[in-house]
Amino acid sequence: MEATVTSEMASEPGLPVEIGRIDKELGKLWEASDDTKTRASLINLVVYSEKEASLSSNTEVISAIAGKHACRAILIVANPTAKESGARAWISAHCRLQKLGQRQICSEQITFRLDGASAGALPNIVFSHLDSDLPLCMWWQEDFPEPLDEKLWAWVDRLIYDSSTWMHPKHQFLLMRHLSSSGAKGTVLCDLNWTRLHAWRFGLAGMFDHAEAFPRLNRVESLRVVCAPGQNTAALLLIGWFASRLGWTPLESADAFITPLGGRVSFKIEGKAGPHVSLFSVRCEDAHFELELKEGAGFFETTIHAPGIPESHQLLPAPNPKLEETLLAELSRSGRHPLYTQAIDIVLPLINR
Amino acid sequence: MSTEQQTFNPLREGLASKAMPDPCTLVIFGATGDLTHRKLVPALYNLAADGVLPPAISVVGFARRDKSDEIFRVELEEAARKFSRQGINDGLWNSFASSIHYHRSPFDNLDGYESLASRLDELDAARGTRGNRLFYLAASPDQFEVILENLRKSGLNEAKPGSWARVIVEKPFGTDLPSARRLNDLVEKAFDEAQTYRIDHYLGKETAQNIMVLRFANALFEAMWNSRYIDHVQITASEPLGVEGRAGYYDKSGALRDMVQNHLLQLLCLTAMEPPAGLDADSVRDEKVKVLRSLRPLVGKDVFKHVVRAQYGEGAINGKPVAAYRNELNVNPGSVTETYVALEVNVDNWRWAGVPFFIRVGKRLAKGGTEIAVHFKSVPPVLFRATGESIDDNVLVIRIQPDEGISLRMSAKMPGSSLRIEPVKMDFHYGTSFGKATPEAYERLLLDAMSGDPTLFARRDEVEEAWKFVDAIHTAWNTRSDDLAFHESGTWGPAEADELIKRHGGAWRRL
Repeated sequence: MEATVTSEMASEPGLPVEIGRIDKELGKLWEASDDTKTRASLINLVVYSEKEASLSSNTEVISAIAGKHACRAILIVANPTAKESGARAWISAHCRLQKLGQRQICSEQITFRLDGASAGALPNIVFSHLDSDLPLCMWWQEDFPEPLDEKLWAWVDRLIYDSSTWMHPKHQFLLMRHLSSSGAKGTVLCDLNWTRLHAWRFGLAGMFDHAEAFPRLNRVESLRVVCAPGQNTAALLLIGWFASRLGWTPLESADAFITPLGGRVSFKIEGKAGPHVSLFSVRCEDAHFELELKEGAGFFETTIHAPGIPESHQLLPAPNPKLEETLLAELSRSGRHPLYTQAIDIVLPLINR
Repeated sequence: MSTEQQTFNPLREGLASKAMPDPCTLVIFGATGDLTHRKLVPALYNLAADGVLPPAISVVGFARRDKSDEIFRVELEEAARKFSRQGINDGLWNSFASSIHYHRSPFDNLDGYESLASRLDELDAARGTRGNRLFYLAASPDQFEVILENLRKSGLNEAKPGSWARVIVEKPFGTDLPSARRLNDLVEKAFDEAQTYRIDHYLGKETAQNIMVLRFANALFEAMWNSRYIDHVQITASEPLGVEGRAGYYDKSGALRDMVQNHLLQLLCLTAMEPPAGLDADSVRDEKVKVLRSLRPLVGKDVFKHVVRAQYGEGAINGKPVAAYRNELNVNPGSVTETYVALEVNVDNWRWAGVPFFIRVGKRLAKGGTEIAVHFKSVPPVLFRATGESIDDNVLVIRIQPDEGISLRMSAKMPGSSLRIEPVKMDFHYGTSFGKATPEAYERLLLDAMSGDPTLFARRDEVEEAWKFVDAIHTAWNTRSDDLAFHESGTWGPAEADELIKRHGGAWRRL
């Protein structure tokens, strides 16, 4: 049995505390739990947003993930343009029961509201409230500001962001590429837009496992991707991954690639209401491979029409589209994402053409 | 024999942290049995639902009973719904089930294997599995010989160029050293050692895999992992259950063969082995074999000095009365089969000289649990002697099941003006920190066998060395039976076992 209990005040994101007394107040919070609660933490998860409404939605996400990935969450809502400066803090806990009758496992959340000039105190706020020795995962929910504060980013172990929300993706991808090759090169780039595509990549790879399908990767003529309006970066990342795996290079003048054998592969992205990506279709001279995710379906459908391969329709598991599930999937993965940076290199010249 | 070449699908690169399995056909011999229903098919479904199985995989059940593909699928669905660690999604199950087939044949009928070969060729063509085949011997061990013989005669053991054929052998790997050698010879006639995967499901458990990480990824422990700092090690596998319908097998086997020869000696190896040269299968298994070869043989009179065997008598488990072993259904009323065994084992090498490993395993004990407890030596009794305080030794406990985790007992000063020292426990629970469900051991092991990674499977020499050690004990036991002790069900075993560890100045841990 698993239940989530959030000890949170109705109108405020927890118990208001003086910033200088946060550690002491957290200690009191655990002492008051009369040994029925166990504090657990695997990472420091810092969430930064400048949207007022994000406070409750982010708290919900943290509450949902804390049960499966214990963390110290530091939630920051900043309003750098506020006329008056000020910094306020709250503490709260997210608890779950492992089994009926057993003690509760709890993760703690520290929430900060930074207005005006106090928003500039972000590095200090972050560094002074980390759970020591645990990795720092920073979930940045805004476009990245310039110049990049490398002092801050160099401390981040995993930088989480969602390129599907960026206003200027080309510029932001360039910043990320710079970040990964600069002083902060220890930072692992974790794009939730890319994480959502993991099951797509797995499904597409699986379609070409068939002994008759595999050689056709050298004879691809066109790609077609259908995505929700405004989700072009997801479609491009998927195309970029596919192209980078096969060694294709993008053409400057057209929506097409050149293959290592000199062939030309065109691609097309179509917008249609529905899942962020709903179809990836690969056409060869004599064959057609399709991976489709229908609205509300929990699985992909694969379709293969190719000589030598029996006509087949198969279902494959599709990811849960909830944000917390995507975040959990990302937090559960380790290591860097080299395929992502390779996909970005392919995608960059194709954005905003 | 096969040449294991891989046709590389570039889209697969980097999709997962470990090598993805090739598309293949899994043939299960003994497909109508308990193991297939309770473990194998739920494990395969979970792998499919987690998206880590190649979609082109096929499963063929091979058994004697007459049934259609459809009926077989319905039976497996029922089992998967009951035993799968995650719920069954109808759509995904139907898609997965379409890859399941049933092939009816007696195990001793060569024609059945030849028709299987044709059927596998058809499946290869239909599903593009490229002739990759994994044969799983999940039938009763007395059928292994005829199955292996017919696999060889029908040529199914031979992989086509560019593909592979592998075999998974379920335990028990024989009942003693001669039978293990005979079985290994039979396997070897049909499959190379590199194609042979002997399952010991303990090695697939997350915590067993974590022993190496704990030891070799933490400088703190490895530096102290030797006779200079460690007093003794206790390895325990206890269960409150009795023989539960396995009496026919168990009465011939006993605790030593059923648990010690495989699971507990594997845990001992992981605890005692030297750092391997690499993480490849043979580097790890080489080190484990070295430990087995270093075990001081227990022979003749030494057996009665260093080994305690016992049987459970009447008693109570969870407040309910339970019968004595000899009164269990299908157990010989005069049986001298041990349901409990405790051993003092010495690893005669530089690192472990003078450090006894106490192993105990038993049924109908007070509580279920498997753990490794490393007891560190006492600090010199100098500094705190005057205070009259007794100081408990440090104990590092690796809990294998249930409630997987690691704890460390240390001494700390109690708050107050006087100097009082109390033991405190630092406790790490997997479930607390990692909320996600742990994959079942069979999921990991099936995936590894499909991927061609034998690290978590026992090699021939490991199995035979373990039997050599265990057989010597049985040889001594066969000369007399008056050493068989008895203990009340629901307790922690016989007094003789307490004496065994007391001679070293220790006491068994209460789990």
